[in-house]
Amino acid sequence: MAIVDTGDIRLHVQRMGPAEGRTPLATVVLVHGLLTDSLASYYFTVAPAFAASGLDVVMYDLRGHGRSGRPAGGYTLDHNIDDLEALLDRLAITGPVHLVGNSYGGTIAFGYAARHPERTASLSLIESEPATAAWAAKLGGILHRVVTELARNEPEAIAWVTANHGRNTARLARGAARLVRETSLGRDIPASRVLTEDQISVVRCPVLGVYGGDSDMVEVVPLKETLLADYRSVVLPGHEHSVLVEAAGTVGGHILELIHSVSGARAAGVR
Amino acid sequence: MNPTEPEVRADEEAVLADLARMLRTLLEEYGDDDAEIGMSTTFNRDLELESIDLVTLAGLLEERYGKRVNFAEFLAGMEFDEIIELTVGRLVEYVVWSLKATEAG
Repeated sequence: MAIVDTGDIRLHVQRMGPAEGRTPLATVVLVHGLLTDSLASYYFTVAPAFAASGLDVVMYDLRGHGRSGRPAGGYTLDHNIDDLEALLDRLAITGPVHLVGNSYGGTIAFGYAARHPERTASLSLIESEPATAAWAAKLGGILHRVVTELARNEPEAIAWVTANHGRNTARLARGAARLVRETSLGRDIPASRVLTEDQISVVRCPVLGVYGGDSDMVEVVPLKETLLADYRSVVLPGHEHSVLVEAAGTVGGHILELIHSVSGARAAGVR
Repeated sequence: MNPTEPEVRADEEAVLADLARMLRTLLEEYGDDDAEIGMSTTFNRDLELESIDLVTLAGLLEERYGKRVNFAEFLAGMEFDEIIELTVGRLVEYVVWSLKATEAG
């Protein structure tokens, strides 16, 4: 297990690369989602195919998640973007990177791209959106429910989840309740600084949005079309928010197509 | 390599013993040190391992067998439900198959 100490936080990092002897074509950084998620959602889905296609694949657990450190405080979006910045710095990854983010991970990736447009080669956002006031309000509502219904009345809530969604989901929910109880995450994220429309439109790299057709995230497609110079979306019918895990092959295929078209153009000297 | 570990052998019994040792290392973290581990044991229901624990297991497999066994690729080829139902026995078979394939190659 690789731990990278940024000076502020210990982050669990996993890396996969192309077969021996091959120089990676580009670096892709995969950022996972909130509460029940970890880098495992990439490790066992799209990462092996990304590496086999010639990419240097970097995955890490967000603070508080997976095998990374869990400080009591420091869970705003800006803390997460700082962590990503510090991680790339420690790994000496200086060139433009392709960023992939699932759900909240996409919001982090977008925040990084808005801070460093010149260091972002492309952005793939799975079931995700930039940090806007509407985003903060929505996440605030979800986190409020986790705090009040799950963390404060855990036995009853877990019994309900077990009965309706099975033991596996119940175990994930217990983990989420623990994270919210032990940290300030539930208060910090809704209080995060959000982006203005000008800050969003600073992102000029190609952006791909991938959505489940049955997810309410499809509503954010028009916002991105208005503000982003190079935006394209793919909607996968019959899927909801967990489209990455449910349809990994299709999602990964769309992302690889984007990355290779961009890095191919770069290699040929075309912008 | 750990000198106390037996030599790698591409047969079911030896690989099951290897995996049981790795899984006990993982479970110790949760204070569970007497779990029974056999071919029909499931990672999810019986051992209550989370997917991030399987990432750690992937690392332990690589330490033991090198690049010959690619656990991430093995799981990436499965449906989500198959991963939930994954048994130790299925992984044993995959490891034995991988070891034999590289011996033959």
